[in-house]
Amino acid sequence: MDYFSEGLTKAVALLLALDPETFSAVWTTATVTALALATSLLMGLPLGFALGHFRFPGRRFVRLFVDWMLSLPTVVIGLIVYALLTSRGPLGEWGLLFSVPGMAFGLTLLGLPIVVSMTATAVESTDTRLTQTLLSLGADRWQLLLATLIEARFAMALAAATAFGRIVSEIGIAMMVGGNIKWQTRTITTAIALETGKGEFATGIALGIVLMLVALVVNLLVGLLRGRSNGHQAGGRA
Amino acid sequence: MSAPLYQLRGVEVGYGEASFAASVATTVATTVAASVLNVPELAIARGSILGLAGHNGSGKSTLLKVLGFLLTPHAGELSFDGRLVDAAALRAGHLLRRRAVLLGQDTCLLKRSVAANVAYGLRLRGQPASQNTLAEALALVGLDFAEFGPRSWRELSGGEARRVALAARLVLKPEVLLLDEPTTGLDRASVGHVQQAVLAARQTRGATLVIASHDVDWLKSCADTVLHLEDGRIVERLGDRPGGHSADHLGESPGVYGVERT
Repeated sequence: MDYFSEGLTKAVALLLALDPETFSAVWTTATVTALALATSLLMGLPLGFALGHFRFPGRRFVRLFVDWMLSLPTVVIGLIVYALLTSRGPLGEWGLLFSVPGMAFGLTLLGLPIVVSMTATAVESTDTRLTQTLLSLGADRWQLLLATLIEARFAMALAAATAFGRIVSEIGIAMMVGGNIKWQTRTITTAIALETGKGEFATGIALGIVLMLVALVVNLLVGLLRGRSNGHQAGGRA
Repeated sequence: MSAPLYQLRGVEVGYGEASFAASVATTVATTVAASVLNVPELAIARGSILGLAGHNGSGKSTLLKVLGFLLTPHAGELSFDGRLVDAAALRAGHLLRRRAVLLGQDTCLLKRSVAANVAYGLRLRGQPASQNTLAEALALVGLDFAEFGPRSWRELSGGEARRVALAARLVLKPEVLLLDEPTTGLDRASVGHVQQAVLAARQTRGATLVIASHDVDWLKSCADTVLHLEDGRIVERLGDRPGGHSADHLGESPGVYGVERT
């Protein structure tokens, strides 16, 4: 137990001393997560709306594909993205391998299916009477899209929080596509894996504390949003 | 005599084939291909009140949705204001729906305040939604703006929500107001408010009203024409007399409207 308590004490000291190496990993994680989440939301919200709202040939297949992407192991996504970005790959000339944008690209593939699937479910669960109400009040197709998204806002915020939680705690893609380069692409999760492997528990625990705090905040947020979303679905029909 | 506002010829709707608001590519997910509405000929004059009576499932709501451009007939012709409502016209269907506004049978409010709900249609049209405008609309249905305006949609009873939904239509001052059971679920005092507000739309602005209701006495008293629908077909037609029918007059046709059918 001594090594654990010693590690914990050192970890707190590292955090309080604003250790540059520790905070470099935190900063990289924040940057990569922000980029991947923003891209997932920008692409995923309209795609999820389209999937949940419109009826088109092949819709069930698309839905199946999105759900399949949800369950894809992250190392497989990492492998695919690595193959795409490596110098011999089709996107090799972009020079994104072992870079923050490259990691964000890979993590977007992780977050996008979550946002698409949960948004589609949220839109599907909005009553068809809502569509009729919006149309009868004179909404054009863009106003209909916007209003439906606003009505499903709590459920979609839940999708964003879930995607955030998944992206921030991911390691397979970050390791394979980022390469775990110190000061550049080393994230909290890859640093924990590396430091623990080296026997440097203090740094690992310090980063673990940061990640656990992030997870706690995300879970509290998800719980709050889920409560509001359920509350809003429960009543209020005219 | 001026041209009718609506002209329907051979209009048929079968739920298996009908498209719901085709302009937004949303289709009704039903499997029954049976015809639920079959109207060989119907003209609705501008500024008139048309009453629709009939059992549940007789086609009243379907006809209202067709008139509100929310349901595209799979056969026949529908003209509005002298123009054929075809696929091209429905590509800008929102422009038609802004002229003919429907209050559906099962209205749902937006997850916003009462004031925001009433203002919503005005905002869609880029029109100002001043507090006075919203207060006037709510007053028409017997609701006080100061008390109800800031309330959340969740804090309303079913009857209050129904009246808010009606206020959200009245505030738009549409050419055509299509009302599906506007007084269902309301207490007696609220029914009076709603009926008054609806009729005022014609008296003050000359709006065309189409009202589906089980309250046959009300339809008898206010409508210029009352159609009785059964199985999607018009089986009886009363009047074409502006100003509505007196109860005495309708009493001369026993068996048609003498008994309220619910």
